[in-house]
Amino acid sequence: MRRYVLSRLGQVILTLLIYITLVYFLLQAMPGDITQMYLANPKVPQAAREELRKQLGLDQGVVMQYLTYVKNFFRGELGVSFSHYPRPVWDILMERLPRTFVLFLTAHVLSFYVGYVMGRVIAWRRGRVVDYAATVVGITFWTAFYPLLALVLIWIFAYTLRLLPLNQFIEPKLWQGAPFSANTVFGYMVYGGGAVAIGLFLIFYAFLRGLKRTRRNVALAWLSGSVLVAVALLAASRAGLLVYIWDIVNHMVLPVCTLTLISFAGTMLLMRDSMLETVQEDYVMAAHAKGLPDTIVRDRYAARTAILPTVTSLVLSLASSMSGGLVTETMFSWPGLGQVLFHSALANDYPLATGALAFTGVFLLIAHFVADILYAVLDPRIAYTGQPAAEG
Amino acid sequence: MDPLLKLDDFTMHYRTKAGWVQAVDGVTLSLARGQALGLVGESGCGKTSIAMSVMKLLPYNSKVVRGRILFEGRDIYSMTDGEVRKMRWKGVAMIFQAAMNSLNPVYRVGNQIVEAIVTHEPETSEEEAWARVRSLFELVGIPKERMYHYPHEYSGGMKQRAVIAMALACNPKMIIADEPTTALDVIVQDKILREMDQIRRKINMSMIYISHDVSVIAEVSDVVAVMYAGKLVELGQADDVFKRPRHPYTYALMRAYPSILGEKHELATIPGEPPNLLDPPSGCRFHPRCDRASAECSKADPMWREICPGHYCTCHNPVEIGGTWVGQVRSGKAADGGDQLGTSSNS
Amino acid sequence: MRGLSQNWAVFRESRIGMLGLIVILLFGVFGALWPIMINTVWDPLIYHPVVGFDPMLLHPSPPTKAHLLGTDPIGRDILAQLMFSTGREFLLGVLSALITVVIGTVIGTVAAYYGGFTDTFFMRVADIMMLFPFIPLLVVVGSMVRLTFFPFAIILGVLGGFGGITIILKAQALSVKVRPYIDAARVAGGSSFHIIRAHIIPNVLPLSFLYMMFNVTGAILSEATLSFFGVLNIDMSWGMMIHTAEAAGYLFDFGKYWWLWLPSGLAITLFCAAFYMVGRGLDEVVNPRLRKR
Ligand SMILES: Nc1ncnc2c1ncn2[C@@H]1O[C@H](COP(=O)(O)OP(=O)(O)OP(=O)(O)O)[C@@H](O)[C@H]1O
Ligand SMILES: [Mg+2]
Repeated sequence: MRRYVLSRLGQVILTLLIYITLVYFLLQAMPGDITQMYLANPKVPQAAREELRKQLGLDQGVVMQYLTYVKNFFRGELGVSFSHYPRPVWDILMERLPRTFVLFLTAHVLSFYVGYVMGRVIAWRRGRVVDYAATVVGITFWTAFYPLLALVLIWIFAYTLRLLPLNQFIEPKLWQGAPFSANTVFGYMVYGGGAVAIGLFLIFYAFLRGLKRTRRNVALAWLSGSVLVAVALLAASRAGLLVYIWDIVNHMVLPVCTLTLISFAGTMLLMRDSMLETVQEDYVMAAHAKGLPDTIVRDRYAARTAILPTVTSLVLSLASSMSGGLVTETMFSWPGLGQVLFHSALANDYPLATGALAFTGVFLLIAHFVADILYAVLDPRIAYTGQPAAEG
Repeated sequence: MDPLLKLDDFTMHYRTKAGWVQAVDGVTLSLARGQALGLVGESGCGKTSIAMSVMKLLPYNSKVVRGRILFEGRDIYSMTDGEVRKMRWKGVAMIFQAAMNSLNPVYRVGNQIVEAIVTHEPETSEEEAWARVRSLFELVGIPKERMYHYPHEYSGGMKQRAVIAMALACNPKMIIADEPTTALDVIVQDKILREMDQIRRKINMSMIYISHDVSVIAEVSDVVAVMYAGKLVELGQADDVFKRPRHPYTYALMRAYPSILGEKHELATIPGEPPNLLDPPSGCRFHPRCDRASAECSKADPMWREICPGHYCTCHNPVEIGGTWVGQVRSGKAADGGDQLGTSSNS
Repeated sequence: MRGLSQNWAVFRESRIGMLGLIVILLFGVFGALWPIMINTVWDPLIYHPVVGFDPMLLHPSPPTKAHLLGTDPIGRDILAQLMFSTGREFLLGVLSALITVVIGTVIGTVAAYYGGFTDTFFMRVADIMMLFPFIPLLVVVGSMVRLTFFPFAIILGVLGGFGGITIILKAQALSVKVRPYIDAARVAGGSSFHIIRAHIIPNVLPLSFLYMMFNVTGAILSEATLSFFGVLNIDMSWGMMIHTAEAAGYLFDFGKYWWLWLPSGLAITLFCAAFYMVGRGLDEVVNPRLRKR
């Protein structure tokens, strides 16, 4: 397992280098050389230009320039944004990254779970009405035109029904005179939420680990889980954070739902196909022969092994779902990495655009790495051979 | 005492694009408690289909056309799903033809056995179940720390043993072993067979061994059923069937395998191809390949008749007794075998 | 390889696939109507999708007899735009998917046939390509050089061609390569080129074709998204139609100006879903394990 993790890590770092190189040369190849435009931008004062010229190593050859760029990148020196002058690009990105991360993670976990559960049901009920209906609806969302879907949902839930807030990250009125900044609250939310999630996982794992799920254990698990959540909520309200957290959560609902809607079908359809193959496996037949209840055979035998290719494809689709994230952030004015990328690109803010693009890659690579590890945890055969086992 | 398992004119067909495959046709047999039955026949003759019918695990495209299967006197095709689940593993356990693949690759082997135990015996605690797995592993000869390993860490022979341990987990009344050892080399094969036989005797369990290999069947069965193209052609005490085969097919089949104890005889293949079950030959299904076939054979389906006491056969022109001795059947078998016909024939 | 009619018989059993095929055919008819309409019924001055203008109305106008789906904010007929764009979308989708699939098939078969360094190199390239966030990349690139129709289609196609599709097609080609008749052909003195062309590629093609369907979906969605954000230099497309409405600020009053976004939005979704469904139907032809039952 350790060797596997290390070799994956090596691959990720190598890919990152290649990616950064590509981004660099791509922008170099653009007409109206990025560095020239940078230097010609009237927003940047004369003194800063000289500083920059040196920092970018423009007086040296192409290779040196490139090396300087890579060195600066790994030091976190990404330059200064034009449009947010004089904020350093690094600061802007660090502010935006957690927001993208939370949105992306929540939506992904949710869509993966929904897709997994539905795929498992429709594969088990193959050829029935549920199967066709879910497939057609799923494909429609999967191939739906994102921006439009986002607009439709905003229009229905925020504009017409007024159930949810319209766009953005926070409600400015509420936050006027608030004792906290949005970023602080968001930070608390992320750490607190993470801690509660881990706690819940541990509780459920401890009580429901065995093969026999007694009523008592199930009840205890739910009970202590609710206590944990209640304590967390109480703590937040004592600290006066609850209204603000609630505001942020409210603003998250629509983007998360949209992202989930457009991406659950990918997992669902794959899960279905993959499970149609596993249900023909001998061990599924053997599980039936053992007299195990139908749902156990479905969940622990057919679905549990069918999930593996689904995780692979999750890994492969990370990149394309990142694009979905970008669109979603723009549509919902969610001030994350994607929105910054888009705005800076349109505003010709090259340092920021490059930084955002590079960080999108970093973010993706980390996600990719995590998914790889997850895959190895799910399939005991991988850590052993370093390769997915041949099917069958 | 009524038999543990009884098939009564059981007929099952598969629906395919090309038509109905008559995989099991009018099979009648019964299995007493503690008895070992060997089911032998060429590949594709319907042995697995019979096993699956008994487990009620038939695929979606199958159809029971006629007949019944009684387990402890109850028709399994009129049981509810819950009753069938209870019958499985507690009543009838099975070792699948592809034993290697009948372990779930993502769970530890021990877990899969414990799961079977706690499902069927809710009063057993998980610790007790693990203790039982430990003793089962000892019984089948796998080091017990292997319980915590995944199937891919096992060798083929160990998987086979683990599957046997799993079949034994709930002390079933009978086990169907579908080619339990074909994937193994001959020496391991022999060893596992003997061990299974010993365990069976020790706990007085019934067993159906399925194989296309006569020598395997000869080694471990009390009663032998020979199957050809979806039909039973001969059924009787192992001694009778192997020492004095009456159906020409049994006779030919025995000549096609080397004797397990090393007696030399010329190996003879059976001429022709196994019939297409979509459209089996008229009359006796074996007649196109039979060297004893007469005009009658292609017209009339031979009756299932008791040719000698306890020895059934479907043939218009059964092989005469005498001069047909081929292999040797294991010695020291169940006393009730009964040599009704004397032993003068093997010279 | 089974005959075409047999494959068709299998495909026909897939309801999802047939549904997709019918929708695609309807789009084909719809797109074919454009040249007929503009040359007979419609006055090009009014109905031209890009420069047309109807001076008789206030724009955007809701559906009227003359403009069955209304007009856009600068007075162009929505139905005409929709029809005109259909052909363009077909062209874009099929062209870029074709490029992707041709590159993928060639690399996949060559990598499978020769193995060794060629194989490793292209597989690593594919690994990296799969990690690339293309849409963000194209947004940045597009904002600098406004891409036009054909360069965009070609870039999409080429970028896709070196990606994950090569891995899939290589696996398929590998399974063909080990079949006995390949050895037989080699022994009989067939050149590598001949073997790849005559024996391996025909067996990989069904799978290539399948991925082509999925790639059409991907290409159209990418185009629509980038058009919507205004980073492409394309005169008219479904995505552009929505972009026009959005840029003029009409999408904020969503329900009121429905004809500005609904027809084009539906067209994108239906069109992409149709190709995707055909892909799923083909999947059952190519992958027998899905077919049972
Ligand atoms: N699901 C199915 N659908 C259609 N036909 C089937 C199916 N399963 C088995 N058959 C056919 O039924 C016949 C009997 O098959 P079965 O598996 O019972 O044979 P077998 O005696 O176990 O053979 P082997 O020794 O090779 O395991 C064969 O002709 C086979 O092709
Ligand atoms: Mg069999």
